[in-house]
Amino acid sequence: MAAADSQGISAPERYRRTLSGGVLLFRWVALAWMTTIAATGSEPLRHPLVAWTSIAAAGAWTVWLTLRRRKWVEATLWFDLALCFWLLVASGIVVPEGDIVSQRPFFATGYPLSAALLWAVARGPVAGLFSGAVLGVALALSRVLNGVPFTALSAREVQNLAGAILNYLVAGLAVGLVSRLLVSSGAALEGATEELLKERERAARLAERESLARQIHDSVLQALSLVHKRGRELSTRQAIPGPEVARLAEMAGQQEAELRSLILRSPVESETGTKSLRDQLERITRSLDGLHATVSSVGPISVDAARADEISAAVRQSLENALAHAQASRATVFAEEENGEVVVTVRDDGVGFIYDEEALARDGKVGMLKSMKGRVEDLGGSMKVTTAPGRGTEVEFRVPRGAKENR
Amino acid sequence: MTEPIRVMVVDDHPVWRDGVKSDLEASGTAQVVGEAADGGEAIERALDLMPEVVLMDLQLPNLSGVEAIKRIVEQSPHIKILVLSASAEEADVLEAVKAGAAGYLLKSSTAEELVDAVARVRTGEPVFTSSLAGLVLDEFRRIARNDPSEPGLTARENEVLKLVAKGYTYPEIGEKLFISTKTVQNHVQNILIKLQLKKRYDLMRYAIQKGLDRGPE
Repeated sequence: MAAADSQGISAPERYRRTLSGGVLLFRWVALAWMTTIAATGSEPLRHPLVAWTSIAAAGAWTVWLTLRRRKWVEATLWFDLALCFWLLVASGIVVPEGDIVSQRPFFATGYPLSAALLWAVARGPVAGLFSGAVLGVALALSRVLNGVPFTALSAREVQNLAGAILNYLVAGLAVGLVSRLLVSSGAALEGATEELLKERERAARLAERESLARQIHDSVLQALSLVHKRGRELSTRQAIPGPEVARLAEMAGQQEAELRSLILRSPVESETGTKSLRDQLERITRSLDGLHATVSSVGPISVDAARADEISAAVRQSLENALAHAQASRATVFAEEENGEVVVTVRDDGVGFIYDEEALARDGKVGMLKSMKGRVEDLGGSMKVTTAPGRGTEVEFRVPRGAKENR
Repeated sequence: MTEPIRVMVVDDHPVWRDGVKSDLEASGTAQVVGEAADGGEAIERALDLMPEVVLMDLQLPNLSGVEAIKRIVEQSPHIKILVLSASAEEADVLEAVKAGAAGYLLKSSTAEELVDAVARVRTGEPVFTSSLAGLVLDEFRRIARNDPSEPGLTARENEVLKLVAKGYTYPEIGEKLFISTKTVQNHVQNILIKLQLKKRYDLMRYAIQKGLDRGPE
């Protein structure tokens, strides 16, 4: 039950509850004090039964308030005030006649104060002041009931009484003010937090919109206007040149994919300093003109950013080779993690060749080797080329995943 | 000449439907017997027309493609469903395959590939793209990680699926592994069935747990 209660309560209410928790604690301490004094008082009580019944009532009331820490209904407040009023009055009745004006601690002084505090917490400073005044009246009455009429009070005793009443008034007012302040600042804080969240959301949406607009402008719009222009030019020709139209179609297709990925795929949240290798590879395959390359990946594969960049650069080089030297039209990039290694395979449907590193070096193609093999070897990995004339080419990069292991 | 394959096209864009229709009918091997623009319509028409193959987009208004696939397969398991979708919807594609779709083709595929895929799906052969193979591999690894007692892929199935993910065709895989193309197809088919069974198994387990948790009324 308590869990359900604490969920979804407002900040002001939470502050109010904290305060009332404090009042409750005070109540228990005062109850213990009252009991101790009644039990150990040097003078015998005039009406022990009245005293102990009152203490029992206060104890029961305190227990009930502790168990039922809910909102205070009007009846709770009034009953509390009545009980505390009675406790003050009762002290006039139970302590030995005239004892009430003595310097010794007597029956009930602390406990009744909690009524003023409760009123103040629940209803604010005016209520605190009001309940303090009511208790003050009770305090004055207790003098009379103790057989000490006002007229018999000495100047010092009057001062004492006035001081005690003033204490009640001040306590009620002060706690009431604190309560009101906390409640209003809680409400303000809550409002501010809500406003801040809204503001942040607005800013994030705006930023996303801007970034989308920028990306669409940079890629999709440029390509579209080109397709538009070239399409128009082509339509005026007598004979339609097939390859040119195919190129336009290819361009439109790429932009379609680009646009879709912009709109549809929510970006993978990666840890700081890491990148999703899949996203990186997809970006590369999209940017290649003239080669239909697809990425298949076992999960997003997050690796640290530098590593992802290096692997991607090697993959890009091998795709460019497929396009430039192998006359490939299709390629598949497959990426997975296996035993702490990132394995990326680039496979094309090109003419293939006889892979011979020495021959390549002799022919002055060291640059290509360097940008692929060298890159992955710098990362502690390896490259394997499987190819034969007429059978396409498969390049496999194996790179240790890096220090960060996240499973 | 054999009878043309009876195909139904489900997509909310009429232009796209027209394009697919003309591609299929130009080949002479398939005939579009019906079209639908949303999930609800797809279920209704499919059960009414009983096409051999349904070409299904996943992003549909009203009722999603995945939901439509589920209902069609439930009521008429012999209707083969080929998902034709855009590249960024791959997570949905996995759901579609679990729901009973027999294949998946990218919308960017050529007319030739489409016609070929329709013919293959009709005979019950699963049609996979390499990227879907990657997703399926990921799914099985996730399952194996979370609950090693669950039925997973055999070593051979894993090998086959990886080669599909690398872009190899079934005959090429057969050649590489010294098995027949038919055997490769069977492996892929079994992988799909495992994925679909897994889904049903999950549902069943969920239902049992629910029932047990409630206890006697």
